[in-house]
Amino acid sequence: MCERKEGNGYGRRDFLRMAATGAGGMALVMFGGGQALVSANTVKSTASDQLGPGGYDPTKHHYIYLVDVDKCIGCGSCVRACERENQVPRHFFRTWIERYQVSRSGEVFVDSPNGGHDGFQPSDTGADITKAFFVPKLCNHCENTPCVQLCPVGASFVSPDGLVLVDEKRCIGCSYCVQACPYGSRFIHPEKHVASKCTLCYHRLVRGETTACVQNCPTGARQLGDRKALHDRVSEIIATSKVHVLKPELHTEPQCQYLGLSREVR
Amino acid sequence: MEHTKHIWRAAILLVTVLVVLVVGRHFVIPKSFGEMGYYRYDALFEYMGKEMRHGSPNACADCHDEIAAAKASGKHAPVKCEVCHDTLATHVKDGEKYADMRINRSYELCAYCHQKLVGRPALVAQVDLLEHLELSPGQPIPAEACVQCHDAGMIHHPE
Repeated sequence: MCERKEGNGYGRRDFLRMAATGAGGMALVMFGGGQALVSANTVKSTASDQLGPGGYDPTKHHYIYLVDVDKCIGCGSCVRACERENQVPRHFFRTWIERYQVSRSGEVFVDSPNGGHDGFQPSDTGADITKAFFVPKLCNHCENTPCVQLCPVGASFVSPDGLVLVDEKRCIGCSYCVQACPYGSRFIHPEKHVASKCTLCYHRLVRGETTACVQNCPTGARQLGDRKALHDRVSEIIATSKVHVLKPELHTEPQCQYLGLSREVR
Repeated sequence: MEHTKHIWRAAILLVTVLVVLVVGRHFVIPKSFGEMGYYRYDALFEYMGKEMRHGSPNACADCHDEIAAAKASGKHAPVKCEVCHDTLATHVKDGEKYADMRINRSYELCAYCHQKLVGRPALVAQVDLLEHLELSPGQPIPAEACVQCHDAGMIHHPE
């Protein structure tokens, strides 16, 4: 054991103790500050009073989406509109339509030829089909989404207005999020090599327009609402009707809700 | 006080490490990261800057008011122009026409909505194309089968 020097009054042990305390304190200051920002999540910091075009404030909106299954005629207008609006590469989909055909004995036939982009053809399942319907699908913009939780670089995020988006400059294309999404809403862009997905046409929303899919749906099967808007029609329908979400057992809290959803839909 | 230099060495090392961390952090973490959460807040504003391809719902009526008026009173009123044509951005730039709008005369376009299908709700008129055109299965459907009888006037203003 080392002998403590008389008169110094400051030994190795004291030094180590002080150094450890100091380093710990610094670490707290450096990383604790960051952590506080992260955990606050929705709390607006003073630095971010940025506004979009026309004074658009992301904190004043929260978008919700409603699909009325009974109104979908499976025409694919939404899929084509999405492709044109967002330059979605061929055979990749930010939104798509699935056709469900259920036989009397409970067999379920599901198809989505080219995502419904080219419409649907009569199909012969050879079974006694007792019910059939079209189900439009898109990113559910989950409030509690697994795709954002596991992004290793902070490229996937939930915006203050409730959208799940990808920062294309930060995304490293690892595709963890593609695998994590229980709804198959994401894909790796074949040219940009980053995760790509429905943005709810954010560039349109901030200009006061609706999404391309909603605008081009000829029957009103797709509707967009804003939870924070006064007298919002979609919020009212959701508040007063029997609505359902996809895979509720996963507790992802989808912001996309369905009217007239049947149990066969996955 | 010969041991004081050990303390100084350690202190200098500690300070160096801290400075490298603080300065390095500044360079590695992008601007606006962490402002609103664990992401780069500027990414949101980059999305906002993207140009719209589809116009506003009533943008076409600015120039084509007669067709728009006829369409508004017909059964195709809920079908936006861009569903059958193309996006406004392919036709108009800075408020001026720069290219012809696409006119799709294919039967496939009509069939997207009007082909009779199991499970298609009766919200729209539906026909079995082969039956309607009196073709036998396997016979090719003429490319412009529908518009040969249902002309643009009828399509813009179906009774």
